[in-house]
Amino acid sequence: MSVLVLAEHLRGKMRPITLELVSAAKELEGATVLAVIAKDPASLADQIDVEGIDEIVNVHVEQDEFENDVYREALEQLIADRSPEVVLVGFTINSMGFAPAVAAKLGLGFASDVFALRRDGGDLVAERSFYGAKVNAEVDFPGHESVLLMIRPTSWPPAEGAGGAVEAELDATISGSRARHLDFQDVATGDVDITTADFLLSVGRGIGEKENLEQFEELAETLGATLSVSRPLVDQGWMPNSRQVGQSGKTVKPKVYLALGISGAVQHLAGMKTSGTIIAVNSDPEAAIFNVAHYGAVADLFEVAEELEKLY
Amino acid sequence: MQDLTPGLLAETATRDTFAGLETWEIVLWYVLIVISVAIFLFGVARLLLKYRGGRGHVRLGNYRERATNVARVVFTHAWIRRRDPLAGIGHLLVFYGFMVLFAGTVILAFQDDFANPVLSFDFWHGWFYKIYSLFLDVFGAALVAGLAYFAFKRGILRPFRLQYWRPAEPAESLRKQPRRYEIGDWVFLGSLFYLALSGFLLEAFRIAADNPSFEVWSPVGWLVGHGFRAIGFEGDTAAAARIVDWWAHGVFALFWVSSIPFTKAVHMLAGPAGVGVKDDRAGNRLAPLPEGAKAADVGYAFIDSLLPKHLLDLDACTKCGKCHAACPATATGYPLSPRDLVLDLREVAEGSMGNRAALGIAPEFPEHAEILGTIKPETLWSCMQCMACVEICPVGIEHVPIINQMRRALVERGEMDGQLQQTLETIYTSGNSFGEAKRKRGRWTRDLDFDVKDARKQPADLLWFVGDYASFDPRNQKISQALARILRGAGVDFGILYDGERTAGNDVRRVGEEGLYADLAEENVAAISACRFDRILTSDPHSFNTLRNEYPQFGGSWDVLHHSQLLLELIESGRLKPRKGLGYRVTYHDPCTLGRYNGVYDPPRQVLAALGVELVEMPRNRDNSLCCGAGGGRIWMKELKGEDSPRPSELRIDEAVALGGIDYFVVACPKDVTMYEDAIKTSGHQGEIELRELSELVYEALAV
Amino acid sequence: MKVLVCVKQVAVLGDEVEFTDDERDVDPDYLDYALNEWDSYATEEALRLVDAAGEGEVVVVSVGDEDAEDAIRRCLAMGAERGIRVEAEGPLDPIQVARALAEVVQAESPDLVFTGVQSSDSVQAATGSALAGLLDLPSVAVVTKVELGEGKATVHRELEGGLVDVVEVDTPCLLTIQTGINEPRYATLRAIKQAEEKEIEARSPGETGEPGYRVRKMFVPPKGEGAEMLDGNPSEVAQRIKEIVQERLA
Repeated sequence: MSVLVLAEHLRGKMRPITLELVSAAKELEGATVLAVIAKDPASLADQIDVEGIDEIVNVHVEQDEFENDVYREALEQLIADRSPEVVLVGFTINSMGFAPAVAAKLGLGFASDVFALRRDGGDLVAERSFYGAKVNAEVDFPGHESVLLMIRPTSWPPAEGAGGAVEAELDATISGSRARHLDFQDVATGDVDITTADFLLSVGRGIGEKENLEQFEELAETLGATLSVSRPLVDQGWMPNSRQVGQSGKTVKPKVYLALGISGAVQHLAGMKTSGTIIAVNSDPEAAIFNVAHYGAVADLFEVAEELEKLY
Repeated sequence: MQDLTPGLLAETATRDTFAGLETWEIVLWYVLIVISVAIFLFGVARLLLKYRGGRGHVRLGNYRERATNVARVVFTHAWIRRRDPLAGIGHLLVFYGFMVLFAGTVILAFQDDFANPVLSFDFWHGWFYKIYSLFLDVFGAALVAGLAYFAFKRGILRPFRLQYWRPAEPAESLRKQPRRYEIGDWVFLGSLFYLALSGFLLEAFRIAADNPSFEVWSPVGWLVGHGFRAIGFEGDTAAAARIVDWWAHGVFALFWVSSIPFTKAVHMLAGPAGVGVKDDRAGNRLAPLPEGAKAADVGYAFIDSLLPKHLLDLDACTKCGKCHAACPATATGYPLSPRDLVLDLREVAEGSMGNRAALGIAPEFPEHAEILGTIKPETLWSCMQCMACVEICPVGIEHVPIINQMRRALVERGEMDGQLQQTLETIYTSGNSFGEAKRKRGRWTRDLDFDVKDARKQPADLLWFVGDYASFDPRNQKISQALARILRGAGVDFGILYDGERTAGNDVRRVGEEGLYADLAEENVAAISACRFDRILTSDPHSFNTLRNEYPQFGGSWDVLHHSQLLLELIESGRLKPRKGLGYRVTYHDPCTLGRYNGVYDPPRQVLAALGVELVEMPRNRDNSLCCGAGGGRIWMKELKGEDSPRPSELRIDEAVALGGIDYFVVACPKDVTMYEDAIKTSGHQGEIELRELSELVYEALAV
Repeated sequence: MKVLVCVKQVAVLGDEVEFTDDERDVDPDYLDYALNEWDSYATEEALRLVDAAGEGEVVVVSVGDEDAEDAIRRCLAMGAERGIRVEAEGPLDPIQVARALAEVVQAESPDLVFTGVQSSDSVQAATGSALAGLLDLPSVAVVTKVELGEGKATVHRELEGGLVDVVEVDTPCLLTIQTGINEPRYATLRAIKQAEEKEIEARSPGETGEPGYRVRKMFVPPKGEGAEMLDGNPSEVAQRIKEIVQERLA
């Protein structure tokens, strides 16, 4: 059994998903190869010096940052070179661009948003959700020698410890990058950083109207909390993306996460479930957020908000 | 000689209309009459052309009924008197004063220009002349008295409804209108004053000049004339003044008549005409889309999309402001006043296709002028379709259907707030506004210790159409359960549709999503038609209205009952025996769709009486009930009320609490339950008053 | 300009669930169907681009049986020109869907191909990228802004945490469209009914090949330890929340 793990980095820093993938690979008990596709892969080496990696392949390309064609071709060549049984990439916005393409072209077994892995005899079994995360499923990959899995962020803890991986080099031949990185725009400029806050007051669709947002901004101030939101509020343009918790937003880990009117879509949970203490208030007793919360209350969020406002 | 004159003339009591005028002057007078009538007719023709420029046709049929109704409304002032009897009397004085004076002029013209010259029949003298004089004088005085009251009301009392304060900013092109209205109203009042006064003066000058004794039959003129004589204003001086005033009165009167189609006076024509062609079910039964409608056929996006009747409505408006005062949106600072909406539309109609357009008077609008924009979307979305405006309008304006048609055009363009769009999508996919799974619709029956019949599988006497709120909302589910237990206890054979029911669509229609409404109605009609039952029961007035009044358009005509009617029936027939004397002091809120829409005012009150509770009415009750703010789909939209205003529901709770010592705020509508439970908390009256649905009180009264 | 939008009629599961006898899927009785949310954004974006270009057409393609036509009609009602249904029975995984689509998309030779980022029922976020791979089209995933240029487009990709990656992509290309990129217009039921009269062309799929995975078993996720529920009225709940917050922050 050999597992190929693809590292993800941004602006010279490994992204957390990389070490999570290493942890996921451990479940498969095979030789783990971590591939780093970069202009200067060696410069990232110290960030991946963790236990659980048998070999690091430095794939040299011309681009500093992620470009779709580059990763796609590099991954194809890595697979050709190493013939791994399992390829693990993050279920991230970068990987969404190229990993399914590689799986389709090479005819690999494929599943994305995988959050659990195990071996059942000779079979690889992965777990993922369907139907808006209301049901889970075990999936396997009959007839596939090689399987590419996209792993849900924060499903595994980051790998730790001291490594001792051997290094190898691979010069990838890239025929041309047709989707080129031009620039990064930091939309978060000037706004608060919700990832460093100790206490987040997070609100979601349950607040109903944009006009109500102000009330919660005030409440956050009263409580000494930082206001964060779930995706729908960002989609509506009510709040900047920098305040968004979740898979397509930020992953947060405050000491206290107080969620008002957030039902707990899986993408949201992925961004906050490792918070120290999670308190959820929702009018729907079936809301998924109660599954990850430490404390929950089935109540009208406005009423609770009003009462809280009075207490401080 | 002079002493004898009165006696002599008394024998031949009459007067010469053209006394003291040269022949050429008389000729000029007739020329002026012809010009005046021509202008009047031109104006009326232009008005008719304007109405014809609308889409569709005027509703006809039932001519006799319509004519009788117009006569009743016009001659008794039944609609004008409502909720402001003083203004009604004032207008009655002006109306009959004006009508009698006008009739007098017509009689005179008949005598001078036809009866006498053609038939040699001269009746305008002697007793007839005396009675005629007295009649005209008295009614002339009535006219002046009425006008004086109106001037007092407008200038001193200045009631809210006569002020041109607007909750919504007017469109740029209409900025100056409110000021113009104010001036116009005074000019109109002044012009009538002038007509009356110059008429009386004419009489007084004549009497001052000749002092005929029989003119004592013109008491006002007599008094004033003798006043003139007392200060020495008599003889030739007075006669000369009479000639001047004759022209001043006559020419102005002709001018006034010719101006009718162009001024506020147009309501004299458009008002009765509007009442005559009014749809007496306007609002409670909205029109379906035309067969095979294309996007451009949907709703009112342009001024010439309006029905001729609705264009006529715009002219009928006298700016009396009764709708403005009745509207719950206006009262709570939503950017809507039904009066302003009508006036703004009138400006567009006149400036685009009316007399003002023909004369090139500003504000002008292009042909086929767009009205969505001049009337802002938020204005249209503010409407609760509660019918308070239509119900009180003394000239039969159909604001609610007009707003509904404009909403249809907005929906067609996708111009609606996100929350509403989401709700409509939800209704489309799940068949209910809660986004709940279809199969959960009958879930509320699970807590009962008996099974509720599935009406699709077994025949039942009553098919209970439960509706969204009563099915899915936890607070309302308890009420549905109470009602089910009551029915069970009374041995009523009833069943429900379970997941075969979809939202009835009353408010989907009122939001303006007619296509979705038609879809819902068709599916419900099909589901209901497949069942065997005698009558339909619903506790939801919104469902009640659309099932009763609108489903016939989709082939479903049934006997539909509101639960207040059924409960009364059961109590009266003795099948329900409430323990007498619950002894509470309660007030009752009339739901718009039950009361104003369908006239069901008494059954809930009679049920309350049978329970032995003391009913204290709020100041606004029955037809004057104030909407809770949920109607017309507003419950699905973002808040638009004024920043410092309470919500309509909060206003209502304040009203109830002010009655003093009220135990329960009683409602008979699931949406009211939701709205007022909320309002009791948000208005700060928690603990002072509680909400009860009618069924809950009945259930309580049945318990041993 | 021709923009081809690939859309999906997704299954929506309510609060309750039962599984099929083999436990490999949800009992269809418990599913409602709707146009995938992401796809309505993709369709809207396509309509806006064609509108801005002043000429061209938006073609909507979906894979599935006749029920899938509802999704297409919804897009036609929004204003798309034509609809094509690639005939397929039974469940397909995203890569098979991409294979089924490939030939049809190639035959249409559009200037742009849009898909939603993912479907709300299977959340694989794979069809678009797989299709681009099969057609060898340049592609960008999770796009939040599109600006068309000559032979290329400048697009925004929104990365986790809100960082925006500005990307220049050669056209023709495939973009997977993220929610929030625009406000999808409302399709009135009148328009939907009218769209029902439009002919939806049925085409045969490309070779779909073997599925990338197989469901062994579906199940309701085990509830975590679950939250300790705070009972009482809002004021009591608020009091408890205050205590917990103070304790944890201390």
